[in-house]
Amino acid sequence: MNPYYIKEKKVSNTIIEIKGLTKNFDDQQVLRGIDLNIHENEFLTLLGPSGCGKTTILRIIAGFEEPSQGEVLFSGEDLTKIPSYKREVNTVFQKYSLFPFLNVYDNVAFGLNLKKVDKEIIHEKVTKMLGLVGLQGFEKRDVTLLSGGQQQRVAIARALVNEPKVLLLDEPLGALDAKLRKEMQTELKKIQQEVGITFIFVTHDQEEALSMSDTVVVLNDGVIQQIGTPIDIYNEPENRFVANFIGESNIIEGTMLDDCLVKFDDVEFVCVDKGFKKNEEIEVVLRPEDIKIVDLKDGQLRGKVVSEVFKGVHYEYIVQTDKRDYKVHTTEFYNLGIEVGMRLDPDDIHVMYTMEY
Amino acid sequence: MNKKNGIGAKLYITLCFMFFYLPILVTMFFSFNSSKSLTHFTGFSFRWYEKLIHDNSIMSAVYVSISIAIISTIISTVLGTITAIGLSRSRKLLKEWILNVNNFPIMNPDIVTAIGLMIFFSSLKIEKGYIPMLLSHIAFCTPYVITSVYPKVRRMDHNLANAAMDLGATPFQALTKVVIPMLKPGIFAGMLLAFTMSLDDFVVSYFVTGNGVENISIVVYNMSKRINPTINALSTILIVVVTVILVCVNVIPAIMRKNHKSTGMAYQTKAGTFGRRVVLASGIVLVLFIAGFSFNMSGAGKKVLKVYNAGEYIDKTLLDDFEKKYNCKVIYETFDSNESMYTKLQSGEKYDVLVPSDYMIERLIKEKYLQPIDWSLITNRDNVIEHLWTNEYDPKGKYTVPYFWGGVGIVYDRNVVDEKDLEEGWDILLNEKYKGNVYMYDSERDSFMIALKSLGYSMNTKSKKEYKEAYEWLIRQRDTMDPVYVGDDVMDNMISGNKAMAVVYSGDGAYVINENENLDFFLPDQGTNEWCDCMVITKDCKETTLANQFINFMLEEDVSEINEEYVGYDSAVKSTYEKFRDDYYLGNNACAPKLDNPLNETFRYQETELKQYCASLWTKVKSHQK
Ligand SMILES: Nc1ncnc2c1ncn2[C@@H]1O[C@H](COP(=O)(O)OP(=O)(O)OP(=O)(O)O)[C@@H](O)[C@H]1O
Ligand SMILES: [Mg+2]
Repeated sequence: MNPYYIKEKKVSNTIIEIKGLTKNFDDQQVLRGIDLNIHENEFLTLLGPSGCGKTTILRIIAGFEEPSQGEVLFSGEDLTKIPSYKREVNTVFQKYSLFPFLNVYDNVAFGLNLKKVDKEIIHEKVTKMLGLVGLQGFEKRDVTLLSGGQQQRVAIARALVNEPKVLLLDEPLGALDAKLRKEMQTELKKIQQEVGITFIFVTHDQEEALSMSDTVVVLNDGVIQQIGTPIDIYNEPENRFVANFIGESNIIEGTMLDDCLVKFDDVEFVCVDKGFKKNEEIEVVLRPEDIKIVDLKDGQLRGKVVSEVFKGVHYEYIVQTDKRDYKVHTTEFYNLGIEVGMRLDPDDIHVMYTMEY
Repeated sequence: MNKKNGIGAKLYITLCFMFFYLPILVTMFFSFNSSKSLTHFTGFSFRWYEKLIHDNSIMSAVYVSISIAIISTIISTVLGTITAIGLSRSRKLLKEWILNVNNFPIMNPDIVTAIGLMIFFSSLKIEKGYIPMLLSHIAFCTPYVITSVYPKVRRMDHNLANAAMDLGATPFQALTKVVIPMLKPGIFAGMLLAFTMSLDDFVVSYFVTGNGVENISIVVYNMSKRINPTINALSTILIVVVTVILVCVNVIPAIMRKNHKSTGMAYQTKAGTFGRRVVLASGIVLVLFIAGFSFNMSGAGKKVLKVYNAGEYIDKTLLDDFEKKYNCKVIYETFDSNESMYTKLQSGEKYDVLVPSDYMIERLIKEKYLQPIDWSLITNRDNVIEHLWTNEYDPKGKYTVPYFWGGVGIVYDRNVVDEKDLEEGWDILLNEKYKGNVYMYDSERDSFMIALKSLGYSMNTKSKKEYKEAYEWLIRQRDTMDPVYVGDDVMDNMISGNKAMAVVYSGDGAYVINENENLDFFLPDQGTNEWCDCMVITKDCKETTLANQFINFMLEEDVSEINEEYVGYDSAVKSTYEKFRDDYYLGNNACAPKLDNPLNETFRYQETELKQYCASLWTKVKSHQK
């Protein structure tokens, strides 16, 4: 049962189509051939480390940069020919970029004022939008005196009030503290579902990406590493980069003996992965929380607990075997220095192709 | 202890404020003086305000200053802002290069900029006047705008413009609705700076103007011979205007902000007004420009006469009368010394009629700058005091018509100076009884004249030995008498009775005596400088008939009377001279001085080498002041 499959039914029509997109700054290639389809009503996240090109992709969609090569289609139309102020896209900037000389109301009304919309209608729309982001009563406030979270909501309202087909959000939660961040994540998701438009969300926080998105696009160095649902990305990372970047993991080289049979650290394990060549060299991803600590005699692997760190909900142990160190998360307490066994169920083992570096 | 500090701080602030504002208050105060003095308040009146309004040259200078300041401020603000914005987006190397180049005009001494611009306009054969002055002001104001806007551009979040376009603003709307409001403080500071720089510029304007276009600073500078409280009146008006503007600038935005925050919808109207404001600003520029142009061109089609005279040396209403009478246009410009007039002529500036002094005339004749007077047109020739026609600077009497004349003497306080001591002649300036009680006139030739006469030599001697002796005389006087070397402020100081005696020109002496009845004037028996300023026609003059008519006009008896009343020197017109001697200045020894002493001389042209020698000695006299 693939949950992505169900969602795929819902998000059907492609709204933005990116084909073979590259971008060079001077002699530096920042994007190296991006292919991506973005659908209506989709909450799509671009996830990747700092400097991988996330903002650049957004800026190309918004029209602040031109692609060096490749195509960007919006509802089948070539987007590059349309100037940014005519695109049906709005942006929430990385640092909000609110207009400091205007108050909250005028910031939100900025786009509508430009379109010479009737004043009554502007008032109605702005008021409604401020209600949606929970800022009713803040109309006359000076934006520079708002808290980070409030500013962020003004930025969202300012963009959304124009009823764009696609909303681009560039790390909008980057400046917030952990608690507010959590709250805003929920709120953003709620807003997206309420207005029912496409969100392209940029973050380098994997947890944020996983908890909010319909689709996650993992980027590194201008190249897409994997596109998939959060669950896919987490459970079935396609390569070492994704596995490393999404959550913590133990990555171990091994050999695929047969369908559903893998061997690493001289032990054979039953798994669920199929379709590899016989004896193909692969890599195995083991999430720390999937490794179960058992009695010595029941363990497929054996080792000694050499380190213990309390992480809040769970403990993190390093278990040293004669081949390597395993990182294990569990809520049980074990003394340092004792010998333990470790077990892996078939669906705890994720086999992926070895990356050619 | 805290309290003590408080008092100290208050005292300090009070002193600072006094230092800043007292001079301004004094200026304003004396604009209401009923007499001409800048130091003695004799009564309250609006006399100088009336005079100001009726003084065409000051009013047109005000117009020139203000219109140029406004236009150049608007244009340089636009240029500077665009440049600053553009600069922030260009490559680093180009940016640094331009910013450095931009600092050039700011750091350069004004005089360098001025001469550069003068040469620039000359080489392009652009006629000096309003337009070159305007262009120059734009040129030197723009860097100030760039310097004050650029840091604001750099600090601005560049995504703001993107944010505006993202919300549907065209690039131009992004500029007007977001970028410019963001840069407003910087633009505003730059604008104020540009406005003040332009309004009080003297050096650059002085060098690039011509054709009678003068701004306030040029008029005031050329007036320095006799500053009168009209300038105080003008300053007072300017101060009031500036204060009102500053108050408006500081108060109106505060009020607007209040309204803006309370309606929450003011933005719409604000955005609307921006366009209107741009239109308004361009309107102002256009109107002022056209007005300035027509001002420059007024009288087009009529015959034009260019007159170059010393400052405050004519009653300008006479110019209007002349224009009406001969249906012509007079372009009138002033200089502050014979030497600066000569420099201007050398720079290629062309005039029709000049009013130089004796020795300078000799030089101009020698260097063939002049053309002969057409005596058939000088029907008033006989109005002139007979003996003024015989002189050494124009021995054949071909080129010159006398204008004003006089001698150099000593004005003294009768209550302090012993009548008998006057017999010492110039040597009274060495009489230690009056140590620390003497004003010398800060003029190289007149000071040497005094020393040479005292030693019994000719003031036109070519002997370096005699000059050396005169130098020693001056040094001795300096060391034993502690004289103060002053300029035209001598008049106010003597009226106030600050010292016992002063070397003055007879015309100035007459004025001083009229204001303070304790004063009197005498001409030393050893002889003195008998000077005469004349009207001459340059060889460049094409309107020779008109030029001769002008000179003849100034010799009319009623004209010269009006003129004398304004200028206060001894007129070359006999009837006027006698009338003042026997009436207004009756009993005033400085008026109509007895210039029958055979030892009196008139300055002759000095050869360059001697002049330099003399100048270096004079510098030494002044530089070792105790
Ligand atoms: N205008 C530009 N000129 C030159 N290089 C640029 C420009 N804009 C971005 N880059 C470079 O392109 C690369 C990608 O930048 P981008 O801003 O897209 O990264 P990002 O993924 O958004 O990073 P972050 O998470 O830190 O915001 C970086 O190496 C950056 O230095
Ligand atoms: Mg970024």
